[in-house]
Amino acid sequence: MFKEKEGDSVETMIGPSVHVEGNFVANGDIIVEGVVSGSIKTEKNLHIGKDAKVYAKISATNAMVAGEIQGNVKIKESLELTNTARVFGDIKTKTLTIAPGASVNGKCIAGEDKKTKLEKIDDKEKIVKQKIKEIPISTPVKVK
Amino acid sequence: MYLHLYDSFLNNKKYNSFLAKIETRLTDLGIGGKIFRLSPLRNIGELLTEEVRNGIKTIVVVGNDKTFSQIINLAAQFNTAVGYIPVGAENKIATILGIPSQEDACNVLAARIIEKIDLGKVNNTYFLSSITVSGGQVTIECEDKFKVTPQNHNEISICNLRPLLVAAPGQGSYFNPQDGLLEILIKPLASGFSQIFKKTTSANSSVIPFKKISIRSRDSLPVVTDGQKILKTPVKIEIVPKKLRVIVGKNRMF
Repeated sequence: MFKEKEGDSVETMIGPSVHVEGNFVANGDIIVEGVVSGSIKTEKNLHIGKDAKVYAKISATNAMVAGEIQGNVKIKESLELTNTARVFGDIKTKTLTIAPGASVNGKCIAGEDKKTKLEKIDDKEKIVKQKIKEIPISTPVKVK
Repeated sequence: MYLHLYDSFLNNKKYNSFLAKIETRLTDLGIGGKIFRLSPLRNIGELLTEEVRNGIKTIVVVGNDKTFSQIINLAAQFNTAVGYIPVGAENKIATILGIPSQEDACNVLAARIIEKIDLGKVNNTYFLSSITVSGGQVTIECEDKFKVTPQNHNEISICNLRPLLVAAPGQGSYFNPQDGLLEILIKPLASGFSQIFKKTTSANSSVIPFKKISIRSRDSLPVVTDGQKILKTPVKIEIVPKKLRVIVGKNRMF
């Protein structure tokens, strides 16, 4: 799973004395020990330290959270919440590990990305609505 | 053809025997060439332009890191290879490029391993190693995507080459002058006992790779490039990939 001290692949480190604001996108691993607001996106691993505060939408492949997140979390593979983790937002991941003491306030979806019957019906309705919009409305012709 | 540029401090008599050894070794290796001694009165830019027009293919800097950085800023405009013979003890750039000191550097020149490396560009000035900003609150805007605000008193460096004193985690992927990226390195300034004993607080450092940033501050702050050229904030900094052809040693740190 996510190896915290696999140093060689670490590319971005946000230290405790730094505040990052905006859409933060990185190609490599990210370690957050400071404050981030906006959004965080990486194709690799994300580690959120014990004293970190993240007011952002998160998207990553693997994540390990020890600090505070206020925002939705979308992880492709595995998400690990340690005993100091506090998440205020929805979680969507494939594998979820929650240590005793961690707090989660939000909707939590873990497992394979299979849609429920209701979601499938919603998706079909959306597609039909889109197609209806795409059909050009012909202007009525006045008959003399 | 080689052009050898000697720094002005080498005019001191104590370097005479050293320079004689260097020149003999270079001649033995068949890489001798024109020699010019730098002085504040001589315009290096004009000299280089003229010599490149006359067919010089390699510029060899004989001096210290400061000399090398000054020449890099000018040599970046031409398609010449740049070599370096470091003189003196503390030459960090030489260590990173894997160039040993004094006569052994001649062997590195003769081996002629040429690497294309990235250069940083601050406003219109090129830099090889790093630039530093300190002394006040700054805001770093990165490619119009995000904004970085260091909270307390910090030393902010923009690095192309690895700073030797920094032991940041994940050293393998940071500070590579061939990755097409520069790194923002934010280090909290040491205080109290750690300041007395000069302990580095690398655990609290921040490292953020980027291609283009701008640094702004409320008051105008000095921005020092590795060639000791001083600019003032606001500044725009970007990476210029594969800009410089430099002769490196086998023990280079990238």
